[in-house]
Amino acid sequence: MKSKKRERRKAKSGLKKRKYTRLDVVIFIILTLGAVVIIVPFWNVLVVSFATQKEYADNPLMLFPGKPTLDAYAYLFKDGKIWQGYINTFKLLIMGLPLSVFLTTTMAYGLSRKYFPGKKVIMYLVVFTMIFNGGIVPMYLVMRQLGLTGSLWAVTFSTCFSVFNMILMINYFQSIPDSLIESARLDGAGEWKILFRIVLPLSKPIMATVTLFYGVSIWNEWYDAMIFIRDPQKLPLQNVLRSIIQETEIATSATGSIAAMGAAQFDDGIKMAAVFLTMVPIMCFYPFLQKYFTKGIMVGAVKM
Amino acid sequence: MRRLGKEIWKNRAVYIILLPGLVWFFVFAYMPMGGLTLAFKEFNASMGIWGSPWVGFENFRDLFHDPAFMESVWRTLAINIGKLIVTFPVPVVLALLFNELRMRRYSKVLQTVFTFPNFLSWVITSGIIINILSNTGLVNGIFQAMGFDAVNFLGSEKMFIPMLYLSEIWKTAGWSAIIYMASITGIDAEQYEAAQLDGASRFQMMRYITLPSIASTIMVMFILAAGNLMTSSFDQVFNLSNAATRDAAEVLDMYIYRITFQSSTDFSFSTAASLFRSVLNMILLLAADWGAKRMGGTGLFGQRGGGKHEKQKA
Repeated sequence: MKSKKRERRKAKSGLKKRKYTRLDVVIFIILTLGAVVIIVPFWNVLVVSFATQKEYADNPLMLFPGKPTLDAYAYLFKDGKIWQGYINTFKLLIMGLPLSVFLTTTMAYGLSRKYFPGKKVIMYLVVFTMIFNGGIVPMYLVMRQLGLTGSLWAVTFSTCFSVFNMILMINYFQSIPDSLIESARLDGAGEWKILFRIVLPLSKPIMATVTLFYGVSIWNEWYDAMIFIRDPQKLPLQNVLRSIIQETEIATSATGSIAAMGAAQFDDGIKMAAVFLTMVPIMCFYPFLQKYFTKGIMVGAVKM
Repeated sequence: MRRLGKEIWKNRAVYIILLPGLVWFFVFAYMPMGGLTLAFKEFNASMGIWGSPWVGFENFRDLFHDPAFMESVWRTLAINIGKLIVTFPVPVVLALLFNELRMRRYSKVLQTVFTFPNFLSWVITSGIIINILSNTGLVNGIFQAMGFDAVNFLGSEKMFIPMLYLSEIWKTAGWSAIIYMASITGIDAEQYEAAQLDGASRFQMMRYITLPSIASTIMVMFILAAGNLMTSSFDQVFNLSNAATRDAAEVLDMYIYRITFQSSTDFSFSTAASLFRSVLNMILLLAADWGAKRMGGTGLFGQRGGGKHEKQKA
């Protein structure tokens, strides 16, 4: 695989010596335009969040706010809703991340053992949940019976296991040489000791990948929270953002007329400031995300 | 029998390790699945899921008599088939273009840009999209500067489905291209060298080497996408729709959400809808799995992409 890549690079550099043709220019332009189409909406979010509503209404095309203001952020800060959202999402992370990683690791380790009675049945039952599930209504009723509705635990428990992540982990664990595990067993180490002393130290890359997978999906979680939690004080960040975005959405789009929209009292800057604040952590982690998520998807591609 | 008992005893530590996960699966996966029996019962809050009396197929009769239900099923299929046709080729083309882009470092920068939106939730994405498409937003600003009339993107049923497709491309195309790019990297360089010696143009090489080499990957991805035709990307539809586009947006998952949490709360009735959805979805997925395996892939469970691991909703 590596050497193939190198050969390919050589072949490519052979191509490189040629002059840039018209085709190169066309490809360059198409891809650059694509990138612009992706960047501009983000830039617009920033610009709107730092501009006054009046300036934005006068000139929706502005590239920079003439008089940048922090009013929108100040408003959100005073309002406090978004910080409560941050706190709740962090609670979800603190509750959910260790639980998710623990459950996935133990399941994956158990199922990566070569043979034990019932292994096949358990594997089938687990994978079956990927193609068939009860759906949201029975889930809601089960949560209600357990007395979990209204609490963040309902969100944590309903989302804390991903079979996909478990399969990634099983594949990785199976690539660890058996001889290592066998010799530890001969030395009298039990399964827990083997898992924590031998397997996990060798599995740092996959642990990082899976932890990031779970982290992002918890950060982006809003659906289960919307279903299980009624108290606005307990809603995670994404739900708070949703309520901020949708608040006037409903009022303005129902009438549909542009005049009514222009007259809307709500400050777009506040909405966009909220979008930006929700995005910041993902942006900070993006270098890691790109690296590890790509690795995760490659594992799949190579297997194919 | 005694041998089996011995085997179990020998492996007791493995079972203990599996126990926490198994408990989770029992309570939060299989109990809700058992709860689907509610579809054949008349829900009584005081008796709970398990104690409520059986009523046979009554709920399904009601379900199929509700015109909104079948409409939502057809709408889901129509929207998702359209989405498959419109959005599926984009990452393939993107991967081919990236492969032909000869500036390596610039290519890395562009890829970083293209894959970023994939990591954002649909809540954030919809906020960004609503912002630029609103009647006073950037896109309409450009339209007006060019002398066109403003278009009411967000509040019109006609624009809703194109908006779904475009926003899907905006958010996911760059990420989905990665899998094709990985598959292009695996192509033997000798093929290109031989073609070059024969005087093949770059376009010919793309057409006769690159594309056929990734054809099986394309096929497998297509079949897998077809397996998800009934999971109607609730996140996207829910966040991009509003009161004005409610009717155009009522896909099956939206229907289930509405009847369960907004209008009546007849839990047995909505469980019937839920069961219908789960079974239909399972059939599609199994068919897709079968198809993918026949195409030489490892099927549904070996190679799902990292970005696609989100749990199925509703």
